[in-house]
Amino acid sequence: MRAEFANPFIKAVVEVFEKEADIKLTRKDLKIRNSPQPSRPISIIIGATGHVRGQVVYSMDDAFAYELTKKMLPNKLSPDLRKMLNSAVSELANMVTGRASIELAGEDHMINITPPAVCSGMDVMIDFLNIPTLALTFLSSIGELEVNIALQTDDDL
Amino acid sequence: MKTGMIVDDAAFMRMRLKDILMFDFKIVAEAEDGEQAISLYREHRPDFVTLDITMPRVDGLQALSQILTQFPEAKVIIVSAVGQKQIVFQALAFGAKDFIVKPFDPDLVKKRIKRLFMTAPPK
Repeated sequence: MRAEFANPFIKAVVEVFEKEADIKLTRKDLKIRNSPQPSRPISIIIGATGHVRGQVVYSMDDAFAYELTKKMLPNKLSPDLRKMLNSAVSELANMVTGRASIELAGEDHMINITPPAVCSGMDVMIDFLNIPTLALTFLSSIGELEVNIALQTDDDL
Repeated sequence: MKTGMIVDDAAFMRMRLKDILMFDFKIVAEAEDGEQAISLYREHRPDFVTLDITMPRVDGLQALSQILTQFPEAKVIIVSAVGQKQIVFQALAFGAKDFIVKPFDPDLVKKRIKRLFMTAPPK
């Protein structure tokens, strides 16, 4: 685990949320965990391979996801709300991870990221990678966002 | 009016791009992965394509390569969150006309697509 992996994500989360949803996020805390197991009911899981690999897991409450989607799609919430909500939050997670990966890859490397997978509910069992994880929490007017960064490079093995 | 196809696995992003482009272009097809993009390109032959990279089944770079092998005249702009230098180089080497990194400015997307159809002034 590398503490320096946190900075590209902090920067990307703040920039993407502000640009896409006009939401200001501020950092609450940073914890170290044994895996990226999320602690809130909606999770977006993105895998990474290449120069840096592992998983990044975003986690939020239902109310946060709903308010976020409303901000991103004003007057456009369709009857198929759950589908659109999943699509909006996963695309936002994709943008954050994509943006952070630009800095992590630098000039010479490549990092492939997987399409996001969304999980709803706390009773879903998922075996996450056992990689030491940086767990960042952000505060905003619509609630809290958790970002679990479980990434490593060859040098960490 | 020029015709376009939007390729992105996120319904949210397809809706967003359609809203941005619908007044200047006619969106004739939407695809949610690379495989569908290749088949819909063959069917509709749009004047331009906006193509995401990170998608299930066939990703954007594979779709780009296959579309341009079959239709070398295709005008494809990548619209992706994965703007790493090596990936941008690869997409442009495969023949993409432009690369826009998400999140994007709506006016920039329109401007870049319009630029595809500008003819160079005579020398």
